[in-house]
Amino acid sequence: MRKKELKLVVTFHTTADAMAMEKACREQEVPGRIIPVPRTISAGCGLAWCAGLEDREQIAAMMKKTGIEEEDMHECMV
Amino acid sequence: MNLSDSKKKLALAGVVCGLVAVCLALMGNPANMAFCIACFIRDTAGAFGMHQAEVVQYARPEIIGLVLGSFLISAATKEYRSTAGSSPMIRFVLGVIIMIGALVFLGCPLRMIIRMSAGDLNAWVALVGFILGIATGVFALKNGFSLGRAYATNKINGAVLPMIVTGILVLALATSLLKASEAGPGSMHAPVIASLIGGLVFGAFAQKSRMCFAGSMRDVILMKNFDLLSVIAGLFVVLLIFNIATGRFVAGFNTPGVIAHSEHLWNILGMYTVGFAAVLAGGCPLRQLILAGQGSSDAAVTVVGMFVGGAMCHNFGLAASGTSLNPETKELVAGAVPPNGKIACIICIIICFVIAFTCKREDAKK
Repeated sequence: MRKKELKLVVTFHTTADAMAMEKACREQEVPGRIIPVPRTISAGCGLAWCAGLEDREQIAAMMKKTGIEEEDMHECMV
Repeated sequence: MNLSDSKKKLALAGVVCGLVAVCLALMGNPANMAFCIACFIRDTAGAFGMHQAEVVQYARPEIIGLVLGSFLISAATKEYRSTAGSSPMIRFVLGVIIMIGALVFLGCPLRMIIRMSAGDLNAWVALVGFILGIATGVFALKNGFSLGRAYATNKINGAVLPMIVTGILVLALATSLLKASEAGPGSMHAPVIASLIGGLVFGAFAQKSRMCFAGSMRDVILMKNFDLLSVIAGLFVVLLIFNIATGRFVAGFNTPGVIAHSEHLWNILGMYTVGFAAVLAGGCPLRQLILAGQGSSDAAVTVVGMFVGGAMCHNFGLAASGTSLNPETKELVAGAVPPNGKIACIICIIICFVIAFTCKREDAKK
């Protein structure tokens, strides 16, 4: 089983925002992957973007540039 | 106890919910309908006289328990969030559509799993349609489908549905205003207190584990993530073991007494409709009740749509009939989907496509 690590988890207001994030990250080669929102963060069942803690600034800049609004940015074990 | 930090614990939540279904079936619920969200919402709609099908009228305490179980556990663990404002009328329509699809198949995704575990091959056929429907919904998600975001609202908003179901419980226990079937599936039920406790336990575990039949498949298709599917697997395995151990497992089509039909195309299309609409609405019928309990007014509107849809199915002759034995001739009478049900199912699929490919993220943000 994969060992859990402390990661950056970006949550969104809608599933569509998460899908747009995945598309934008793929196109602009920004690291990370889409995951279900960790249960420790939310009782909802949406999607989130998971990346390394060191990628925070790059991700924030890309989101600002493409107009994708996050709900929140968390650091949690994934 | 954190139920969500491993697949084993998630599966355990499914096992607990499976055991609740087993207990309720043993105590009087129709065996193959031990815990069906669509059937029980339809029965409750009948208890209010929203439809006049006399054999399916009973205010099912399980539905009340599910909403209250989710409400109480989310309030106790500070996860209650009162939210609203994400395309409520489209969600209402999706609620109606989910019920029409479910009653063409004869069951919600939960009952599909219950029927699968008892060997009903019709349910296995329907699973194909359910997966295809979810895959279509995922395709729409990838193409930018969105009903827009929900916003935080006054706390009392999210508590309205829990209060309404509490009112239904009071009416059921203290008055004779609600209708109750004297024959047929509606007359078969566990004692009220057992059904209520079963619903509360099921609701609490479903809230903690985020149990969702549509969401589990969505996550597998979209991300190859099997967390939510492990909840369903736990549920299925415990039911399968119970059915095999007690001789209730009978593999086949056309099984009298199972309340199912063998019109394969319509089993597939019925569950295709449910899967597609559930992904668009953000959860299966069970999940809508749980989300409504934890404060989502959008999910509550979907639940209201399911009540109206349940009534429409019987008022307009859309619901399928189950295969049964003629009590006099002892001949097998094949269950079937009536023509109105087939037309409605096709219309529902068309509406799902219109919603899926016209409600876009870009439009929602304007």
